[in-house]
Amino acid sequence: MTITVTPQTFSYVSFDADLIGRVAQSLVGALGLEDHPVSIEVDETTPLARSSVALSDDMGVVDNISIRVESGAFEDTRRPRQQSENATATTLGRVLLRARDRLLGGFGEAPPDDELSLAQMAAWETYCVGRLVRLGIEVNQQRWRYNFRNRHGFSDAADAAFDRIWAGDGLTWGELDEISRAASAT
Amino acid sequence: MRKFFPVEELARDGRFNQITMKDRMADPRTVLGKDGVRPSSNRLVPSRPDASTAARVLMHGIFVGEIQALEGAGRTCHDFRTAGDQARRAQDAAAGDDSGADAVPFALKLDMARQAWDEARHVEISVKLSDWMGGEIGEIAENTVLQAACSTDPVLRLAGVNRALEGLAIDVFTTMKEFGDLAGDPFLEFCEDWMLADEVTHVKMGSDWLRKVTENDPERRKKALEFQGIVDKLFSYGGTRSDSEESPIGLARRFRELAGFTDSEVEDIAEVSLAALNERKDAVARLQAEAASQFAGR
Amino acid sequence: MADPYKPRAPFAPWDRRELPGSFDVEDSARRVGNYKWAEMKLFEALGGWVATVPELDVKMRLGTHCYKHAWHADLWHKRLPELREMNPDRLTQPANDAMVRFVEAMTEPEAPDQTIEKLVGVYRVFIPRFIAAYTFHKNNTSQITDAPTIRSINFILQDEFDDWRDGEMILQSLIETPDDVERAARHQARLEAIMVEAGGIAGPGSIGMTSTGASANGPQNGSAA
Repeated sequence: MTITVTPQTFSYVSFDADLIGRVAQSLVGALGLEDHPVSIEVDETTPLARSSVALSDDMGVVDNISIRVESGAFEDTRRPRQQSENATATTLGRVLLRARDRLLGGFGEAPPDDELSLAQMAAWETYCVGRLVRLGIEVNQQRWRYNFRNRHGFSDAADAAFDRIWAGDGLTWGELDEISRAASAT
Repeated sequence: MRKFFPVEELARDGRFNQITMKDRMADPRTVLGKDGVRPSSNRLVPSRPDASTAARVLMHGIFVGEIQALEGAGRTCHDFRTAGDQARRAQDAAAGDDSGADAVPFALKLDMARQAWDEARHVEISVKLSDWMGGEIGEIAENTVLQAACSTDPVLRLAGVNRALEGLAIDVFTTMKEFGDLAGDPFLEFCEDWMLADEVTHVKMGSDWLRKVTENDPERRKKALEFQGIVDKLFSYGGTRSDSEESPIGLARRFRELAGFTDSEVEDIAEVSLAALNERKDAVARLQAEAASQFAGR
Repeated sequence: MADPYKPRAPFAPWDRRELPGSFDVEDSARRVGNYKWAEMKLFEALGGWVATVPELDVKMRLGTHCYKHAWHADLWHKRLPELREMNPDRLTQPANDAMVRFVEAMTEPEAPDQTIEKLVGVYRVFIPRFIAAYTFHKNNTSQITDAPTIRSINFILQDEFDDWRDGEMILQSLIETPDDVERAARHQARLEAIMVEAGGIAGPGSIGMTSTGASANGPQNGSAA
């Protein structure tokens, strides 16, 4: 298992590259992604909290998982510029699960991340975070429900869709997208 | 109980972590435009990919801001004696304060007590809304801005709290109300509109008292308005609130007019907010250069 | 349909209000001035304490109660000119020096770990005394001549009962150990002793009885009608 973290030393924030590596290692193991090298690049110049993941080909074989994260995604919001282990795990867990979904099949027809609609992204995030909870990572469910409602409407149908996705396992992209579309249509 | 409580001693339970504006501004990171890579608009609207998080973070800011506004209004009830309060005057004299300069009209204190109740309700509303949005009490560091509420001159306090802080609240609530409306959130728009109504009243109260108390003292009024200008700039949080699309929070011109701001006063606030935004950009560039040179020197 | 021109009794059979009362205009004005002063001191204290208590629920309740007592002070402020006191400040006075000392002692606790003491002073000593003084006034003043005061007292008493209940329940939730019980009781005893010396919100006779057991401003029975 190869995990690289960039930068190794932070100058804008008090983050610990080793801690990021350890958290990633634990998640990679739990998600069965040991065969894929993982690189994590942290943009410490911004306090925003966006994250993205890309899978790169190596001689025609999808191999490397490249993660890019803005520093706010790993930050302890109570103590600005300090790292939160839980935020680190939640962020890395979300992107690693999206990578895993694409790698292990069932998500072949999913658009590239930057072409996902806000509703599709909210549905996929819900699916990822629901599974992270079952891996033992502590998250605030209401936060993700609110995000889902913002993208699918504030309705009972949207809430039912959220609950179904949150509890789901083994969904395909087609199934996930259909639940999201149906909730939005209501 | 002391008069003029220091801002560093505002009592909080263990969930809160308070930081100063200085701490906040020492952060070299920025969300502002850099080489055109970042979005030119940071305005809080549902179409922003991070809208839910940004709204939740802003709601926490409102929540702690309401706590501080509650504390400020409450302290004004306590810190200044009413002109005819002989017993309090004797107490103050015994404590070495016999200036009488801090006496305020009884009706002004009643308005501040009313404001304390309003702010207490706003804290209650913010807690409920935060919960609704998946927020947690104390999850974001609290920026202490109550220095404006600690002035020993009641007129400066009115200018700082009722006109600058509550004026900022008008801008924030208007942004949040529009966000709730666009997102279709059934509670957010409803609650923000109620709070906005209160804030317009508070700003108007401040404007009216400021004029009344300084009616025959143009020098004192000038000083108060200058103080308000300083606080307005401070409350622009380095450009978080301005007319520019780069700022998440806009300037709510219409509601400010309802609250008693003149056109030229609104223009002045627009100007200082924009200046704060530009100063923040310069400061961030400086801080980033310093951080880079420290890194290179390792 | 009833004949609208038929003479009717000015007081209906169910209207049992009486003309006599214990207080003349000056007595009533003096009491009202004491009430206003005490309500002012209470709303100032509650407002000042908001910033000093770390408990969020207490902070919010103090802010809410602060306004209610300010409103009571305003009701009394507006009543004074109607009681021939054209300069309300003249009668906005503490009942006596002991009452001033009581307020000083009540507002002494300031530290963030003294919420129990703060609340004990207000909800176990001061507000029960308000309830007592207002109840005595309401039950002993002329139901006809002093009706505006009674109307204000009715509004105010409703607030006092509500706030007392709020404060007492918060206290019960904060007092968790025998040490807490001791703290609360000790502070209450200290304040109560000063309040006894003051004789109540309006001084001796606040509830009719003086410390010697004699009746001050006792009800004057008989009909002046």
